[in-house]
Amino acid sequence: MKRTFTLLLSLLVLTSLMLVSCRPATQPATQQPAATTEAATGGTTEPAAFEPMVVEAPNCDYGGEFLRIEALDEYTVRFTLCYPDPAFPSKIAFSAFAIQPREWLEANGGSGELLTHPIGTGPYMVQQWVRGEQLVFTRFDNYWGDTALTPTLVFRWSTESAQRVLELQAGTVDGIDNPGPDDFAVIRNDPNLQLINRPALNIFYIGMNNTYPPFDDERVRQAIAMSIDRQRIVDQFYPEGSEVASHFTPCSIPNGCVGLPWYDFDPEAGRALLAEAGYPNGFDTKLFYRDVVRGYLPQVSNVAQDIQAQLLANLNIRAEIVVMESGAFLDAADSGQLDGLHLLGWGADFPDQTNFLDFHFGAGSSAQFGEKFPDIIENLQAAARLASDAERAPYYEAANNAIRQHVPMIPVAHGGSAVAFKATVQGAHSSPLGNENFSVMQIPGQDVFVWMQNAEPISLFCADETDGESLRACEQVAESLLAFEVGGTAVKPSLAERCEANQDLTVWTCYLRQGVQFHDGSMLDANDVVASYVLQWDAASPLHVGNTGAFTYFSSLFGGFLNADQ
Amino acid sequence: MSKETTPNKVAKLDAEGLSLKSVSLWQITWRRLFKRKSALVGLFILGVLVFVALTAQWIAPYSPIEVLIGVEDVTPRQAPCIHLLGCPKDQPQHIMGIDGNVRDQFSRILHGARQSLIIGFSTVTFAIVIGTVLGALGGYLGGWVDNVIMRIMDVVLAFPSLLLAIAIVTVLGPGLVNALLAIGIVSIPAYARVVRASVLSVREMDYVSAAKAMGGNTFHILFKRILPNALTPLIVQGTLGIATAILDAAALSFLGLGAQPPLAEWGSMLGAERNQVFTAPHLVFYPGLAIMLTVLAFNLLGDGLRDALDPRLGHVAG
Repeated sequence: MKRTFTLLLSLLVLTSLMLVSCRPATQPATQQPAATTEAATGGTTEPAAFEPMVVEAPNCDYGGEFLRIEALDEYTVRFTLCYPDPAFPSKIAFSAFAIQPREWLEANGGSGELLTHPIGTGPYMVQQWVRGEQLVFTRFDNYWGDTALTPTLVFRWSTESAQRVLELQAGTVDGIDNPGPDDFAVIRNDPNLQLINRPALNIFYIGMNNTYPPFDDERVRQAIAMSIDRQRIVDQFYPEGSEVASHFTPCSIPNGCVGLPWYDFDPEAGRALLAEAGYPNGFDTKLFYRDVVRGYLPQVSNVAQDIQAQLLANLNIRAEIVVMESGAFLDAADSGQLDGLHLLGWGADFPDQTNFLDFHFGAGSSAQFGEKFPDIIENLQAAARLASDAERAPYYEAANNAIRQHVPMIPVAHGGSAVAFKATVQGAHSSPLGNENFSVMQIPGQDVFVWMQNAEPISLFCADETDGESLRACEQVAESLLAFEVGGTAVKPSLAERCEANQDLTVWTCYLRQGVQFHDGSMLDANDVVASYVLQWDAASPLHVGNTGAFTYFSSLFGGFLNADQ
Repeated sequence: MSKETTPNKVAKLDAEGLSLKSVSLWQITWRRLFKRKSALVGLFILGVLVFVALTAQWIAPYSPIEVLIGVEDVTPRQAPCIHLLGCPKDQPQHIMGIDGNVRDQFSRILHGARQSLIIGFSTVTFAIVIGTVLGALGGYLGGWVDNVIMRIMDVVLAFPSLLLAIAIVTVLGPGLVNALLAIGIVSIPAYARVVRASVLSVREMDYVSAAKAMGGNTFHILFKRILPNALTPLIVQGTLGIATAILDAAALSFLGLGAQPPLAEWGSMLGAERNQVFTAPHLVFYPGLAIMLTVLAFNLLGDGLRDALDPRLGHVAG
């Protein structure tokens, strides 16, 4: 009897120990801002200790854009490039290149808590992320710019557009992303709500990986390109403000639409071409997608089913639909594992051709479309190094024509989308880049602002994320050297008061704003900038870990990693 | 079933007052079933469903996967147009409207009946076959065999059935066949337990002892003597189980783990248009109604069968 009691007691103790160890880790720093501020003032009393960081590549043969990243003094950073880059300010304004304290990056080994708890300089700081439920931000009172208008910002998410609209109508959220196309009219007719259109600065495409047969045959890809009635897809499944894509890049981006427009819909020619390639009776394949709504693809499963029906009717290609989880789908696409057709899209991060073409088809792009095409890469590299749009035009024309020729993907539509808010929201706006800024929004007299987007962020370390739902959350917290104007695409100063280039645009010097405080109380200096960049740049760095370690934005926008072979 | 020898003892007990001539258990069951209005309603709905499922390709006005873009002047999610109810005659008639991919909803609902019945019968047959074998072995052999089998069944039962089915489909990969397999697997324990209980009660009967004494082998006794007399609860459980299976399959398809597009399946039709519940309610109403009616039919029938087959309820029912 006594033994049983002892056994039971020890079991009970063991169980409670297990429960305690499963408890979520306590949040650091931000919980006690007072204490950390003191620590920080202690830290800044020793400016003499500043040892500027320098990281450089032995030469430019590794293929990337950076030659040297160095801190000149406490508030000056210099980027020496291997080739001229006129889009450099746009690139460093992008949120994948946000600055975090060097100590914080090192303390977490480039991953770990960085994924859930970024320390930035932004108007909001992460208070709590309840996975699967909500992400809560609190106002950062020591923000260097205008402090946020609402003390608490909450991100929620639902993949169901009906739920988003319903919650907005019920008043449980203050703003939502991407109402369903059928709900546009409903919101417009509701005096309590406002609908703000978002310009179609995006592309929805049908991707193919040329390392898997039969997509290794260019004729097969061309045949499919000719045999999808893209007008029908846009007419039936896209909201107002959408258009059929004549090129991969939207026309409002400089040089986006130079070169031949896409193939006309001609299923007869497509069938002939497919027969010539050896598939007169079509073939079996798969159609991969993730069932999430994005501005470029508002009705995912309907579009997927229509493409499936069109492939069958026009080419007798029997495509089996495979729906994947969002993160797994992006990983599989990036690593080139999708052996059929896949539906994906892209929203502009900054309004430049490099953001569209270089990211997808450039030298540093992922394995999404299989083997890369040298004639596309050459033209992109040549264009990226030229300063004016006019000079770049012929190269982008050639690149666009080469894309049309090789068909790594089929551009389908530039999708119009919208955001909706309560009518009482002041400062409501939509951003063509998808990075709505909530620090300028408020409902007078309300302490909490709730935003509901399409999906949960994958992680909050946006150096290693490409999903817009993650980027938007990061953008509230962490800032880059430069920034985009609220609701627009023009570049403005942020952590750097200005960035100056030399004559041939190969050396960029950024002068940091002084007195900028991080959320943990430490002060921004040039070494934080160098550390944040080098973490991504240097593949041999122990901090080059991230979420998946892909750092896709860096490699595609800046050509490649240092020490990539190690 | 007709080959089975029904002990007169049972028939007499059940058929009170009619026992002058030998009446089989099944005749009695049918008579009792027909006296129950609810069971008749269930039987009627089921009859309609089976008819629709068998003749879908002839009675449906369109193919379930035919996209009407460019064929007719219709738009996605167009509301139902019924000529009898005043829809202009120059518009094509679609009595349940048009779905999100511009297909005729009515035709898809009709073809969906076929999927649902196949799902219901195949999963339950699968589960009954496996469950019966396991339950019968456990019940008859007893000892460690019984222990091992029933503990495994207990483990499976410990999981919520839909959750376990989702887990199984996640491992096997989405698709109708895998969903059927998953639902089949999670419903095995219910049948195994029912059969085991019946076998336990039947195996001590005199005629079993007699068969043993006559030198019948285990297989013969179990499958020829015991099982046929332990079937009644299984039939009830099976009928009710079909309803559950259809519901589970619809849930899996709703979640995108079961039937894959463009197959017309009620659960996936419901799931595909779930976001249009306010803007195009007809697209969620009809598949939902169809699922509800089917499940109701099997439940009514199952309840009726249970009452009809239960000798203790005989007086009340009769």
